[in-house]
Amino acid sequence: MLIANDVSGDRATLKLGGRFDFHSHRDFRSAYEQHLVKAGVREIIIDFGDVDYLDSSALGMLLLLREKCDAAGRSVVLSGLKGTVKQVLDIANFGKLFDIRA
Amino acid sequence: MSSPHLTILIVDDTPTNAKQLEAVARKLGHATILAGNGEEAIAKFQSGKPDLVFMDIMMPVMDGITAVQHIRALPSEKWTPIVFFSALDQMQDIVRGLEVGGDDYIVKPASLQILRAKINSYARVLSLQQEVQANATELRNWRLDAEEQSRLGAHVMARLTDAAGLRDPMIRHFNMPAETFSGDLLCAARAPGEVLNVLLADATGHGLAAALSAMPMTQAFYSMTAKGFPLPSIAEELNRKLKAILPSDRFVAATLAAIDVRNQTVEVWNGGNPNAMFINACGEIAMQWASAHPPLGILPDKLFSGMTETVVFHEAGDLVLCSDGLTEAEDPDGAWLGIQGVRNCLASSGDSDQRFANLLGGVEAHLAGYPGRDDISAMLVSVPIDRRLRPRFDAPSHALHGHISEWRLDLSFGAQELRYIDVVPAVLGFVTQVQALKPHQGSLFLIFSELFNNAMDHGLLGLDSATKSWIGGFELYLHQRSERLEGLRRGRIDIAFLLHQEETRAFLDISMTDTGPGFDFERGLNNTAALGIENQMAYGRGIALVKNLCEQVVYSGNGNKVWVRYLVSDQIIEDDGVNGNASARAGPVGETGAVLF
Repeated sequence: MLIANDVSGDRATLKLGGRFDFHSHRDFRSAYEQHLVKAGVREIIIDFGDVDYLDSSALGMLLLLREKCDAAGRSVVLSGLKGTVKQVLDIANFGKLFDIRA
Repeated sequence: MSSPHLTILIVDDTPTNAKQLEAVARKLGHATILAGNGEEAIAKFQSGKPDLVFMDIMMPVMDGITAVQHIRALPSEKWTPIVFFSALDQMQDIVRGLEVGGDDYIVKPASLQILRAKINSYARVLSLQQEVQANATELRNWRLDAEEQSRLGAHVMARLTDAAGLRDPMIRHFNMPAETFSGDLLCAARAPGEVLNVLLADATGHGLAAALSAMPMTQAFYSMTAKGFPLPSIAEELNRKLKAILPSDRFVAATLAAIDVRNQTVEVWNGGNPNAMFINACGEIAMQWASAHPPLGILPDKLFSGMTETVVFHEAGDLVLCSDGLTEAEDPDGAWLGIQGVRNCLASSGDSDQRFANLLGGVEAHLAGYPGRDDISAMLVSVPIDRRLRPRFDAPSHALHGHISEWRLDLSFGAQELRYIDVVPAVLGFVTQVQALKPHQGSLFLIFSELFNNAMDHGLLGLDSATKSWIGGFELYLHQRSERLEGLRRGRIDIAFLLHQEETRAFLDISMTDTGPGFDFERGLNNTAALGIENQMAYGRGIALVKNLCEQVVYSGNGNKVWVRYLVSDQIIEDDGVNGNASARAGPVGETGAVLF
């Protein structure tokens, strides 16, 4: 999985690409960890625009991120959902757990 | 790098040569073993287990070439390098030495520097080799451990999933593991009132890790189903259990369904699984239930919703549940079977067996012999149209040994508690602990739930059963029911049980009184049409069923009071005859009653 990290103002955006699955554990965690401690970041946006596939362990990683953000006083936003990725998140009803933006 | 201490076997018949090598080896900190000919070399190789061998060729008794052939033929777990150290310097000597199993060849005489460098070089190689060997051993132990855990997991999972309920004639299912065993869990069991409950669960990941997450569900599912708890309560309990046990990145997608053939309803809770589908005889999707909730084990109790979707069916068909392993099954090119592929497999007309075979065959053809990336499971429940008024279980044997001591239970529930307590399973779970009543659990469940639901729905909530017979009426009925239950602030239901004996017969009398306005019981009870199998109406059948199962049904007041008499036994056999055994008088039944209540 490819991750591009971008911070502007109080928003950190992780733009993901490729397959987001159980192999992505370490990459994903190290990509967001800095934003949990960095002063000034209030919102972490996960951009799925270039993700082709998402499995259930990826959903687990999102839940973990959500928990850590709650504890660190940050909010999580999922964006750029389309195709299969959107389908998987819809079936899991993650719209009820996460803030989802276009 | 500090070189390891080696044990070096030096084979030479000329003591000066042997001494020279020994001196070099010792100076480098290695231990030495000496042998004077090939035969001695073989014996010392076996007893001394050296790490490195220097071997002369021309020796008495047995030459070095023959000795190496023997040594290489010995069974060995490690590689021991052998260096020929000989005055023979012809090309064919060297080649022959290496061909019989030597690893190196040094021509005598050799300088001390060369010997030292050779020994150091082998020390490095051997040290690396030891490391590789240690890793390989560790890896093998890991693999053995993993296999053992897998075996245990497979055994436990097989026991947990091999429930009698899955062998129900209404059910067909398959579960194809991605690894040695599947983390998908299939469960099925009959509730006491004959409703068939099924569960298809798919935990995060696959194999042992997934199975471990799914295991805690089985017990709750089976015990709550056996007690007759409604589907939403089962979903809530499963969620509570998983939330408490699993780490936050693990969860279980699940579909729960309750198939009530008598009332012609299918009730589904789907959290995170692909659509559950009801396929009619023509192979069309008559109804489907999309995932309406996040999977189990994510939300805290307060935010979790066990809300189900109930649909009335008017034609026979197959209810199909599956895990996403089915829709995401990949062909060798990586293309998914997809929801459309699944539909195509199911689209044929034909019986359930045929349809099931098509689905299984379709997946296998799509996978083309490759194992799935994820566990793949599906369950097909064939749902008949069957309006029998007789329960499908056999009436329990009526013979009872020993005197029945009178047993009574009076309960009174106010609106506050009626809003959240599952009264029917809670009360019956208690009542059927009485030994004499235990075999009657099924009938009592049907009778009691019918009486209680009438008191609740019509008495307290003011719902009209006629609503159910409209198109879409049942859904409306359920919607109104949950809305009014939510808003219930006044009212009370009194329940009384009395188990007693009259002559050689034992009866359970149940009476139920609600504070509602009552109903026109003359019509409901005397409606002979309702007793007929041709009755298409969704209401009226309940009372008819109760009448069928009970000796007497008496409505009184303005219909808000009902009393039924159920025959527990018509042949009580007193055991205190010939021997006059005093302890037999109390009997096991009487004793249980006396102790418990």
